[in-house]
Amino acid sequence: METKFDVVVVGAGPAGASAAYTAARHGLKVLLVERGRGAGSKQVFGGRVYAAPLREIYEDFDKEAPIHRWVRKERVSLVHGDRMVTFEYESDRTVSFTTYLTQLTSWMVEKAVSAGAIFVDEVRVDSIVRDDAGKVIGVESGGERVYADIVVDAEGVNRLLLEKLGLAEKTRPSQVALGVKEVVKVGEDKINERFGVAPGEGVSWVLTGDVTGNMPGGAFIYTNKDTVSIGVVVYLESAVNMVKEPIHILVEKLRTHPSLSRLWADGDVMEYAARLTPESGYRYMPRKLATHGLMVAGDAAGLLLNTGYTFRGVDYAALSGYMAGNAAVKALEEGDTGEENLRRLYEKPLLESFIVRDLKRHRGIEWLMSNPEFFKKYPALATGVACRLFDLEGEAPTVYEALRSSASDQGLSLLRLVLDMFRVVRKL
Amino acid sequence: MSTGEAKPKLIRVEDLLQRTVYDVDHRAHIIVDPEKCARCPKKPCTYLCPASCYVLVDDRVVFSYEGCLECGTCRVICPMEAITWNFPVSGKGVQYRFA
Ligand SMILES: Cc1cc2nc3c(=O)[nH]c(=O)nc-3n(C[C@H](O)[C@H](O)[C@H](O)COP(=O)(O)OP(=O)(O)OC[C@H]3O[C@@H](n4cnc5c(N)ncnc54)[C@H](O)[C@@H]3O)c2cc1C
Ligand code: SF4
Ligand code: SF4
Repeated sequence: METKFDVVVVGAGPAGASAAYTAARHGLKVLLVERGRGAGSKQVFGGRVYAAPLREIYEDFDKEAPIHRWVRKERVSLVHGDRMVTFEYESDRTVSFTTYLTQLTSWMVEKAVSAGAIFVDEVRVDSIVRDDAGKVIGVESGGERVYADIVVDAEGVNRLLLEKLGLAEKTRPSQVALGVKEVVKVGEDKINERFGVAPGEGVSWVLTGDVTGNMPGGAFIYTNKDTVSIGVVVYLESAVNMVKEPIHILVEKLRTHPSLSRLWADGDVMEYAARLTPESGYRYMPRKLATHGLMVAGDAAGLLLNTGYTFRGVDYAALSGYMAGNAAVKALEEGDTGEENLRRLYEKPLLESFIVRDLKRHRGIEWLMSNPEFFKKYPALATGVACRLFDLEGEAPTVYEALRSSASDQGLSLLRLVLDMFRVVRKL
Repeated sequence: MSTGEAKPKLIRVEDLLQRTVYDVDHRAHIIVDPEKCARCPKKPCTYLCPASCYVLVDDRVVFSYEGCLECGTCRVICPMEAITWNFPVSGKGVQYRFA
């Protein structure tokens, strides 16, 4: 394999596939390397993707992409025992959709290949190769080397290659969360009926409270065409100290939850999956996103937003890959793949883009996520208030009375409650 | 929900893993040093590995790589650096279809 490419992309996830597609479309000679068998076979996510960035990258997106359902209902629930308080928002816009990441990624890889990129699967890159001057010159796998003017590292959250290169430190529990997921077969009509949606329309639902065993994190439910994706995400730093039973039991409790299980009653579990995600808000970003001959995109660059009510990783990954692809085109035109030039062409626009602005603005979620008390007390408080207001057997309390007595059950003073709420609202 | 309906049962982890497709390599992609595990106070991997690849047998941690979902959790949480972690080669390991 002693051939040389303009660009070698490591990792065919949304970031890598979009980088390869973009560079190949501009006529560059691109190799896209993936460790998995076929495209998409190592991909796991929650379930919903924002469409706008993908429309910008892929012209044929609306016509061709494997879209299961357009999200029309957004639900957020606070859960305590078998009670829950739910907020629902309905809209008829086509802003985000549900899918399997295995399928969406396969489609993106197809697009990259049809644009002229060469895709090789079943190849695990063992290291990124540098010359004596520190310039990245290619990649190595099983003792074989492939050379390139530019390498795009899109290896995802487990940054073995970047760590080896010294560009990223070893991942710490405080930087990542674990997501565990089941896909349950329900049937298209049953989903429409049970979730109250029309064909092609779906629900995105996040839940918090004791569905995570009171560990900081959250649970999710997404409706696909004829299945639902359900799962739990826990922040590893607190999980290490708080976990009390094997983690798969949390997802199984979600699946069998007395208030939820009827939604997928009699449904078979078709797949069980798990994956890490960078913790939201910037902490996982390497010191620099480009060095001489190298750019870093997607999860590997720490580009993930979790606001507590929505999760954005796939679209950010794709957009950063697209930006890396465009930067590669310009750098090669200019004949300068040095660190300074790549940082100017890739890192600078990325740091100024809405992605990084979003990450900065939502940093308050870090405070929330490192505050286990919040996850325990507030869902219990909210369901306690609702139960006092609605489950009437005798005297009807006022809202204030219900709040005061539910707060005192949780050992919260009203002052503390007001202060906490103020902090949360300001931080989100 | 009809009143007589049975409450759904929890599925055991070994049965959950049956729902997922693997092409198991004969070479292990993760190696664990049992001596370090013996000195590990909390053994968080025994709870947080989603595939229960780490199990306690007579107070000893026994590791098997076959059901690994390749998430990377054990690599991140192990406080003793007992784990030599990598992805499988040649496209082996877990083969996700609907995730
Ligand atoms: C539980 C969970 C729920 C999520 N939910 C959502 C959601 O609903 N919406 C959303 O937008 N985002 C979600 N995300 C985030 C989203 O999945 C990621 O941000 C996104 O997939 C990142 O894309 P990527 O291309 O950077 O990395 P990845 O998708 O991880 O792709 C990396 C690829 O590189 C390959 N690879 C790695 N190392 C090598 C190597 N050495 N050699 C060759 N190939 C290699 C891998 O096999 C993989 O295919 C979720 C994440 C988790 C964990
Ligand atoms: S956390 Fe590490 S050292 Fe501790 S038991 Fe698990 S593998 Fe062994
Ligand atoms: S990578 Fe994940 S699934 Fe595999 S052994 Fe480690 S924790 Fe378990």
